[in-house]
Amino acid sequence: MSGIATAGAADVARPGIVGARVQRREDPRLLTGRGTYVDDRKVDGAVHIAFCRSDRAHARIGRIDAAGARQAPGVLGVFTAGDIDAVARPIRATSNMPDYRATELEPLARGKVRYVGEPVVAVVAENRYLAEDAAGLVSVDYDPLPEVTDPEAALEDRALLHESAGTNVIAAREFARGDVDGAMAGAAIVVEDRFRIRRKTPSAIENRSCLAEFEAGRQALTLHASTQVPGLLRDALAEIFDLPGRRLRVVAPDVGGGFGAKASLYPEEVVVCALAMRLGRPVKWTSDRMEDLTATSQAFDEIVRARLALEPDGRFVALDADVIGDVGAYSIYPWTASLEPVQVVSFLPGPYRLQNYRGRVRAVATSKAPMGPYRGVGRPISTFVMERLVDMAAKKLAMDPAELRARNLVRDDEFPYKSGSGIVWDRSGFQDCLRSALDRFGYAQRRTEQAAARNEGRLVGIGIASYAELTGIGSRISAAPGMPINTGTERATIEIDSTGGVTAAFGIASHGQGLETTLAQIVAEELGVRVEDVEIIHGDSAAVAHSTGTYASRSTVLAGGAATLSARALRKQAIEAASYLLEAAEADIEMRGGVISVAGTDSSITLRELARAFYTEMRRIPKEARESLELSASATYDPFFGTTTGATHVAEVEVDPQTFGVTVRNYVVAEDCGRIVNPMIVDGQVHGGVAQGIGAALYEEVVHDESGQILTGSFVDYVVPSAAEIPDMAVIHLETESPSTLGGYRGMGEGGTIGAPAAIANAVADALSGLDARVNELPITPDRLFRLIRDAEQRKGESRYEA
Amino acid sequence: MERIDISLSVNGTTYERSVEPRRLLSDFLRDDLRLTGTHVGCEHGVCGACTVLLDGDSVRSCLTFAVQCDGASIRTVEGLGEIGALDPLQESFRKHHALQCGFCTPGMLMTAVDLLAKYPLSTDDEIREGLSGNLCRCTGYVNIVSAVREAAAARGNDKA
Amino acid sequence: MKPPAFEYVVAETVEEATARLAEYGDDARPIAGGQSLVPMMNFRLVSPAVLIDIRKIAPPDTIEEADGHVRIGALTRHRALETSPLIADRFPVVTAAMKHVAHLAIRNRGTIGGSLCHADPAAELPAIAVLLDARISVARQGGERTIEARDFFEGALWTAVGDDEIVTRIDLPLLPPGAGWGFHEFARRHGDFGLAGAAATVTKSAGRATEVRIALLGVGETPVRAHAAEALLTGSDFGPDAVAAAAVAVRDGIDPTDDLHASADYRRHLAGVLAERALADAWGRAGNGAS
Ligand SMILES: Cc1cc2nc3c(=O)[nH]c(=O)nc-3n(C[C@H](O)[C@H](O)[C@H](O)COP(=O)(O)OP(=O)(O)OC[C@H]3O[C@@H](n4cnc5c(N)ncnc54)[C@H](O)[C@@H]3O)c2cc1C
Ligand code: FES
Ligand code: FES
Repeated sequence: MSGIATAGAADVARPGIVGARVQRREDPRLLTGRGTYVDDRKVDGAVHIAFCRSDRAHARIGRIDAAGARQAPGVLGVFTAGDIDAVARPIRATSNMPDYRATELEPLARGKVRYVGEPVVAVVAENRYLAEDAAGLVSVDYDPLPEVTDPEAALEDRALLHESAGTNVIAAREFARGDVDGAMAGAAIVVEDRFRIRRKTPSAIENRSCLAEFEAGRQALTLHASTQVPGLLRDALAEIFDLPGRRLRVVAPDVGGGFGAKASLYPEEVVVCALAMRLGRPVKWTSDRMEDLTATSQAFDEIVRARLALEPDGRFVALDADVIGDVGAYSIYPWTASLEPVQVVSFLPGPYRLQNYRGRVRAVATSKAPMGPYRGVGRPISTFVMERLVDMAAKKLAMDPAELRARNLVRDDEFPYKSGSGIVWDRSGFQDCLRSALDRFGYAQRRTEQAAARNEGRLVGIGIASYAELTGIGSRISAAPGMPINTGTERATIEIDSTGGVTAAFGIASHGQGLETTLAQIVAEELGVRVEDVEIIHGDSAAVAHSTGTYASRSTVLAGGAATLSARALRKQAIEAASYLLEAAEADIEMRGGVISVAGTDSSITLRELARAFYTEMRRIPKEARESLELSASATYDPFFGTTTGATHVAEVEVDPQTFGVTVRNYVVAEDCGRIVNPMIVDGQVHGGVAQGIGAALYEEVVHDESGQILTGSFVDYVVPSAAEIPDMAVIHLETESPSTLGGYRGMGEGGTIGAPAAIANAVADALSGLDARVNELPITPDRLFRLIRDAEQRKGESRYEA
Repeated sequence: MERIDISLSVNGTTYERSVEPRRLLSDFLRDDLRLTGTHVGCEHGVCGACTVLLDGDSVRSCLTFAVQCDGASIRTVEGLGEIGALDPLQESFRKHHALQCGFCTPGMLMTAVDLLAKYPLSTDDEIREGLSGNLCRCTGYVNIVSAVREAAAARGNDKA
Repeated sequence: MKPPAFEYVVAETVEEATARLAEYGDDARPIAGGQSLVPMMNFRLVSPAVLIDIRKIAPPDTIEEADGHVRIGALTRHRALETSPLIADRFPVVTAAMKHVAHLAIRNRGTIGGSLCHADPAAELPAIAVLLDARISVARQGGERTIEARDFFEGALWTAVGDDEIVTRIDLPLLPPGAGWGFHEFARRHGDFGLAGAAATVTKSAGRATEVRIALLGVGETPVRAHAAEALLTGSDFGPDAVAAAAVAVRDGIDPTDDLHASADYRRHLAGVLAERALADAWGRAGNGAS
């Protein structure tokens, strides 16, 4: 059910390769079980790690008794912090943000443990079965330390997680613009609440995995890792192990999903490298699901107190917010603990006209797995809060929530628009997205049907969420506040080899987004060859001089831009070389589908012939030209600022008034993702993002008890929705080409997850609008809904419930 | 622990191996036979990534010991079509963009093979419930449902 | 998450299985479908020294009718129960319940005996056994006994089956002709164990209920019958007040606890809702047969 609104017309106007539903080149290998994920790489002599992980939330490490484990069958060694520290330099995620306190990354816990699941001891054995057997024989004494689990309590610093930081508040920031207090005081209407979104974990279906191989002869280390950021890991590991980059290669082969969870440096990756060097054997660690659910980075964990003030006609006049981010035990490398909470305050004003804004944020360390990037980073939370406030205001004003949004969304003639937090929206169809989504949804008609359903006692609700995000961020802004790492440029190198084959190498790392296909489409179109002629290299730090990877909706914009520039440069040189063979002026030569021809004649050569002439048949192109030309080109692209992606989601839900189960009945997304490379892939990204957003809204929650024990260590208890819980959905693309990026692309990999929690929350609130139920906490589980409704009804004095 | 000799057929090839009783079928396929198309996502039966056919029925290879498969016939994703000659279900997955990272895909395919053999799959609800034992984090399931819907319809045409 | 080492033994007859159990004592465990046991072993929550594979005990998948009951072999797989025409005809409530049990790949392996012996408080088949007054036959070396379903479940994951015993078959006494049935369960995700569930059967005559049974799952340590509610409805005309009173009795009669997925209050509420729904269906489906 992919939408077409404006895409249909665009397709006709642009019959190229870019914009077509090109079938993915990744598919044949993945459909036949011939992909190569890290754990599929079986190397002779490889040994396996099982970690003994902390079962305490906060404790001093006492004696570690590993004697039994060392004697166990198949064991090569048992290692603790000191063994790793001896070869690895510590690394910390730094930031030049004021009020930020870095924490050191300890590959194995030293001195104390700070969350349940933290690796303490590494047991290496011939296989994972034996490693687990031996790990079970290790005993670690712990001296309990005071709990630091509740983020609000942790603010008071009664017990410190990191003594060296001197506080649990490891990052803080405030944005202020206009006169918030004055505007609030004078406002006709103010709505406010305390919102809570509960911790999630990205849970890619492929668990993390890494395999380090050390070549003693070359003193070179190769790490295969299930990561989104091979380049970033390479640079970090080079520093940690003091190895030059040329002897350190990080490869991300096929990766089974990431969603941000595989975008950071992890302790396990450092440990496998250290032990591969020490043992002289390839060392592998493949996470199991329990480890993934306890020790992979988690996210979406904030408490937000927010107030929105409006004029009687519905105009927004001021927004005030206080955000507490529960960032877990360590500041993750390289993004830092400020990443998500700061994004929440940065994006809270949304795509709306609003000039008085104050947002204060504190990131609090607690005894939980470190918070890291997860699809949408902060914006699912800011959108949830803002869009709830908008609906609460609409209710208070007795105004249709769609109308209230239409009155406040930035209009086409107001771009570029500087938001309340200082973000500049370059240009995007905010109003168009709202209109298109409502049209496709059949808003008016459905409101009528909803009224009829209500009369039958059914709880049907409709929820809208509009948001905007910055994507394809360039070098001017960092992907994380103050982070000293360049995430804003991408380089591509394209080469025509002596057989006429085209290879394009990138620093990005595809992990499900189909970049092998979309980048091949861009290269093919810009260069003038067939898609199948282009081979895309990615996910290999050795393929490029500098790279980071794929995250933050950057790859189409940045790598696409680099592909465009380098393909254009290469095309120019290829045509010049061909001009000698075709004996024609360059201006008259064109290249299409891998054939180079002289316009208006039947004189042509294939790329293969050109390559042969250029590289092998030395007499056909003059020496000077062969020396000055190259059938290869590199280019770097920097979008400098980045661009805006806007969208509106509309959801319809039905709440069972007795069981409190929520069913999502209908879902529409209208998204302005700029020029589209492959509509099939774009739809898929939206579907997947929405499903994760629905998970965040209704199902998923990492739960800790008061002592910091994690209760959701299995897929039985951490509820990832299945096909039966996710509805069909309609996706409409508005292709307002971005004015700020080369090619007009906008990033769109995360949007689904940003809009869905808010749309679902608003729909549930709308379903319950007859009650005074405060939908302010996600996920909305049946149990929470039961208590919410019971409390609301008790306030009204008409309880139907016992107990 | 003592190893046990087993003989079983995988995708039509007979393998004889000596295995530790505790070796999971998933590890046996992946490590001993190097058939890495079968994936492991949870090892407690929930995600479905490890689903294979055991004597024609879909089963979780992570909840089956290799020793229990002595004399059995197993089919894995490698036993469906090949690159360049995908089978109709694989083609349908490709056409509908029913995979992104591809990690859940082998389990989805093997589950779908069994569902197609045993259920009418005449409604989307039935397809969705049938697939509910296979988690996918990338696709939001929309296109997987479309792919299976089309395969179910094609199956009807074959029979007619 | 790899299972600990064990010794593996295949038993092809009940005698062989029970002899082995007698030999190894509580170091040994039977394994049937493995769909509950293997996950627990992978998490290393249990580590039996010996696994006695009983799947090859013939005949598998037996479901047959004999003087007044339907007899089901312990090794009958969920999938066979789900698709059995005999079950669909005599115990449609079982067929309905099977739709809530896990997923095809798990139903292809899991067995009724394993489900009863695993005794998850939220599992469907134990509740069905309690609803239908099943008689469960267990064998040990040199002996056999029958356990009534109501005595079978002793706690969460705890049954009356001894370490040296295996379940061999389950007998379900036929319901009176015209008995209506209902089954309702609420799970967060399709195929998951339910947060709560209710199964009911109702026999009616001349507009009044002559026999009412209600079994609940997921609301305590074991599946339970809601006897007080059954008594309230027996003889009634199932009017709204009677059913509402029964729902109150259902809620009062259970003692659920808080857990990760649901508070005790919510479970108690849910049990009443699901019982009402199951009862309404059962009443609606009951024929005014026996008059
Ligand atoms: C993802 C998933 C979802 C599930 N969802 C559900 C669900 O919704 N509802 C539900 O009811 N079940 C569910 N199950 C469990 C499933 O139904 C199991 O098949 C069943 O509980 C156990 O049957 P089994 O034959 O596999 O037993 P096994 O796992 O082999 O054994 C279970 C226990 O019973 C013992 N045992 C087995 N057979 C005998 C016997 N004949 N005599 C004595 N002891 C015996 C074993 O020693 C072991 O202790 C689910 C399982 C999984 C993995
Ligand atoms: S790996 Fe077997 S079901 Fe997840
Ligand atoms: S395609 Fe990635 S998990 Fe399904």
